[in-house]
This record gives sequence, C-alpha cells and structure tokens, in this order.
Amino acid sequence: MNDERKTLYKRLMAIRGMGQVLTVTIGLIVLCLVFGLMNPRFFSSRNVSNLLRQIAPILLIGIGQSYVLLIGQIDLSIGSVVGMCCMISATLMTKGMNPLGAVVITLICALAVGVTNGLLVAWCKLPSFIGTLGTMTIARGIAQIANHNYNTDSIGPAAEGFRNFFYYGKTLGLFNTIWIAAVIWLVCNFILTRTRTGRHIYAVGSNIEAARLSGVSVVGTTLKAYMVSSAVCCVVGLITTATSGMGTMDAGTSYELYAVAASVIGGVSTLGGQGLLFGTVIGASIWGVLQNGLQFVGAPIAIRNIVIGIIVVVSVLLDVIVRGNKGKGLKISRKKELRKWFEKRREEK
Amino acid sequence: MKKVMCVLVFTLLVSAAGFAQGQTEKTGNKKVYLITMDQMDQHWVNVDKGCQKAVTELGGIDYTWLAPDIKDDNKQIECVNNAVAGGADAILIAANGPTAVTSALKEATAAGVKIIYVDSAADYPAEQTLATDNEAAGSTAGKEMLAALKAKGVSAGSIGVINVNASTASTVAREKGFRKVFEGTAYTILETQYCNGDAAVSKDMSANFITQGVVGLFGANEGSTVGVGNAIQEAGNKVIGVGFDKSDMILSLIDKGYLLCAMAQNPQTMGYEGMKSAMKVLKGEKVSPAYMDTGVSVIKKK
Repeated sequence: MNDERKTLYKRLMAIRGMGQVLTVTIGLIVLCLVFGLMNPRFFSSRNVSNLLRQIAPILLIGIGQSYVLLIGQIDLSIGSVVGMCCMISATLMTKGMNPLGAVVITLICALAVGVTNGLLVAWCKLPSFIGTLGTMTIARGIAQIANHNYNTDSIGPAAEGFRNFFYYGKTLGLFNTIWIAAVIWLVCNFILTRTRTGRHIYAVGSNIEAARLSGVSVVGTTLKAYMVSSAVCCVVGLITTATSGMGTMDAGTSYELYAVAASVIGGVSTLGGQGLLFGTVIGASIWGVLQNGLQFVGAPIAIRNIVIGIIVVVSVLLDVIVRGNKGKGLKISRKKELRKWFEKRREEK
Repeated sequence: MKKVMCVLVFTLLVSAAGFAQGQTEKTGNKKVYLITMDQMDQHWVNVDKGCQKAVTELGGIDYTWLAPDIKDDNKQIECVNNAVAGGADAILIAANGPTAVTSALKEATAAGVKIIYVDSAADYPAEQTLATDNEAAGSTAGKEMLAALKAKGVSAGSIGVINVNASTASTVAREKGFRKVFEGTAYTILETQYCNGDAAVSKDMSANFITQGVVGLFGANEGSTVGVGNAIQEAGNKVIGVGFDKSDMILSLIDKGYLLCAMAQNPQTMGYEGMKSAMKVLKGEKVSPAYMDTGVSVIKKK
C-alpha cells in the first residue's frame, strides 16, 4: 500500500548521508518545541528573526568547512580568517577608504589565504591539519598587526550603508544577513550538486587515487574547496565588522570548531566524499537554537558546550548504527576505502 | 639637494650640541624611566603625561619614556636593559605579562634600580604597584546602573552580564564587583554569557537578553560593551547599558545615548603618583600602600 512512499523513502535514503540529515532535522524540531514550551518568547517574531540572523554566520562558515571536509581535508584557519577580514576591512574603513574598496581588498586577502591553504595541502602534500594550523596562526597574527595590536576605532558614519547592507538592514521583512547566507548557500549547493566541480569534490573526497586516475585535477579541486572556505570567511568577517561597527582582533575565535560541529552534526563525514549541504543548514541551526534557547532558560554557557558535544557524538553515532543495519556491503567498502586512504597517507609521509 | 644637506648638517649639529650638553650635565638629577607596553595606545600616552606633570612639579628628575613600537615581550625586556645601561635610578614599568620581564627586572634590581609597577605588575617584588582595582571598578559600574534604574522607577527586574571568558582575571574581578552591588536587591542577575571579547558575538547575546526582557546590561571589557551598546541601539528600547573602557566606539555609543556610562581607568594618575612614589623611594622614604588603587572615572554623556 505504501509502495510509492516507500520508494520515495528509499530513494531519499539512497542518497549518502540523508539518513543522518533526517534524524537531526527531527532533533532540531524537537529542540525548538522544547525551548518554545519552556519559554513562550522563543517563538516571538523578534526572537525568530534574531535567531535566523544569529544562525547565518555559523551556516556560512559551516558551508566553507563542509566543502573542505567533502574533499577529505579540514580547514582550521576559518576563525582566524574571519578575524583577519574583520580587522582588515575595519582598519581600511577607519583610514577613510570607501567601503566597497575595503570589501574588495579584504576579499583578495582572504582568497590569498585560501589559495595558500590549497597549495600547502594539495601541492606540497602537507597534512591539512598542519597546513591550516599554520595559516590559522598567521591569519590571527595579521588580524593583530592590522591596527598595531589594537581593536580599531569606529568605522564611522560613512560606513552606515555598509553596516546596513551586511547586518542591520532588512529586505522583504528579513534581515540582510539572512538573505546573504541564503544566496551563498543556494550558489554553493548548486555548485556541489549540479556542476562538474561538485562531482570532482565528491570524487576526490571518496577516493583520491581513483579520482586522479580518472583525470580529476586533485590540486585544482582542493584549491577550489579552500577558496570557497576562505571566501565565506571573508563574508562572515565583513558581517562581524558591520555588526560591531569596529574591528575586533578576537573576532571569530574558535569558529573553525563551530564550523566542524555544524557540518558533522549535519552529516558531513570528516573522512570526505559524503555529506549534503542541506545537513549543514540543520547543523548550524542546532548550534544557533541551542545558544539562543539555553540563554533564555538561563543555563550556564558550559551547558551549551556539553550539549553540543553530546549532539556531535550522538548524531554521528546514530548514523553509524542506522548504517550498520543497512547491509554490510557499504560498510565494508567504506572500511576498505578508509584503509586505502590511511595507507596512502602513510606512504606520502 | 643643497637644502637637504643643509637640513642634515643642521640637525647633526643640534643633536651633537644636545648630546654634549647631556654629557656635561652631571647634576644630582635622578634618572627615572617609564617603560610601557607600547607607544601607540592613548592609555600609555596618558601615563606619560602624568609622569611629565609630576616631573615638572618635583624637579630634579631626568625623565625618559621608553616603549616598544608594538606590544612584544622581547622588545620590552630590551627596554628594561637599555634603561639599566642608561644609568636608571628608578623604573616605572607596565609589565607585559606576569613572567615575561621578571629576569630582566631581577638584573635591574641587582644593579640598584628601584622598580615601581604602573597599570600591571609582574610576579616580582617591587616598591609599589599603582593600578586599577578591577573589583572596585566593577562595583562602581554596578552602583551607576542601580542609581539609573531607581531614577527610572524600575525597582526590580533581570540584568544580563556579558564577559570575555571565565579565565581573564581582570574582567572576572569586574563582574564580581558588579554582582556584589545587586546582592540582596530585587534585581536578579542572569547567567553570565561569554563572548571571547568579540563585539559581534556580544551583540547577539545582548539581543537575546533584550528579547528576554532584561532591564540592564553590563559589558566587562571593550568588545562586550560595544556589543551591549549596538544591541540597545538596534532594539531602541530603554535598557540601561553600562560597560568598561574608553574607546572611540564606546564614546560615540555614550554620546548617542545608547550606553549610560563606561568605566575608564586613570592612566594619568598612575603616572603622576608613580613618579612621586619613585622620588620618595629614591630619597630613602617608605611608600605605602604597597598596592594603590588609582580608581576609575565614570564617562557619561556630555
């Protein structure tokens, strides 16, 4: 009787990573309901629009981290690049530069970090953990040097338009930040699911050797993934500047880990080749809802950290269990892939 | 070209003359050095101003301000060594960190130099420390908020606190002092939120507090305070915001009326009183107290 629905379900579940996305979506809904019951103000229109705007930056860095995780690498420089972009853009604007010019220069600086990351990992064959750890400290250093180790002054009334465009303004009743995140998500999702670059990213992440043999440019694909990551960091950095109206050296501290959490909760595998960008939306939302909801309830911030940790572990664990019942073929092939990947790594070293 | 040469020769002559004079001027003047974390920040410029004021009042002091161009432990150590080599009798120093300069200071005291801390001390005994008592400063902030709430006719409600993290001693002390003021009142202070000093994160947390219906918000450092001010500005309702530090952004938020006030340290007092203590020590007098609170100024809308 449920043939049609069953096939739809099956078709959905056939997409790698969809199982976990569905599980965490249910989790997110439950979380919202619980917070809504505990505090009626949670669903007030003001809180919902604030909440969506708080989720947007986490979603953006989550997109960046997801791209890099999909090729089987990691980007630890995310938080520092956010801080660097915040400081560079704010410093330029306090020095009287036109906001548009400041945005362009900031984007160029961010992309330079992305290219460096990509080259270090793909071309110099550095483990991404080490390579991006290096750029992480370098970018934070640049953030500190930008204004001689001080937060900048106010970016001033000349930058009012900039602040409204990235943060305070509204379009069609929704904050601009939300629109920016939505548009970037749509573009990134399109690239990932509908273009050759997207297929190459999945190919490199699933089996780097097979991808290379079938003619995929591993260096090129890795570069692209890291550049997407640094570009979204630039946008988040600009949003941060717009929010504060000044440059903060500490902006973006530990964002790279929030980004990993958003991606992993959403079902993006840290081993590469598996995951959906829709999952990252759910992962980022869970993060944002927890921060917002727990603050309302009056729980200490330590509780948020503990809950996030548990959710990261449980969501991945659930997926593993679900997968375990889904026939062992997949699991074994995945194990083989993994072993191959690790052996490859060892050889490279 | 000729002009450039002229200018060069002239400056050389003048500096040579100055140098010669410096050499011959072997009076009984005491040499006192001020060493700060850097030269950029207005904070240190004001410490220097305080020192200069004391120097002109007291007289008989050869005073020099030394500082690295940017905050850097090694460069500060170099400054200490230079001061000792330059024949310092006393050094007023704002230590970069608790341990970074201690060995350099040890060498300096061995050479007979008296050490006085201004703004921040290192883990090494000195004649006196002149700094801001952060807990007392936090209480001042709390009292300001309490008075403003009472004046507005708000006799109860919840108050949100945004701090940097749980491990920065100075801001934790400020929060402790702030909370003390509200003990036993009808106001409840909510669970502290930590923003890592990121003004944008603080803004989000403050917005959540405002949605929750707080009557007051407290920011424990510059980033936290800017976030509080921005959130109050956006929400447009009359939550009372109180914070710390005197940055350009905070001043503009106060002037526009979104923040009630901010606590600013008194660097000039540190320099002025520090210099006076240095002279006392050099004359062989005792200075007390060992720790002098230079207090905070409450910055309000003009």
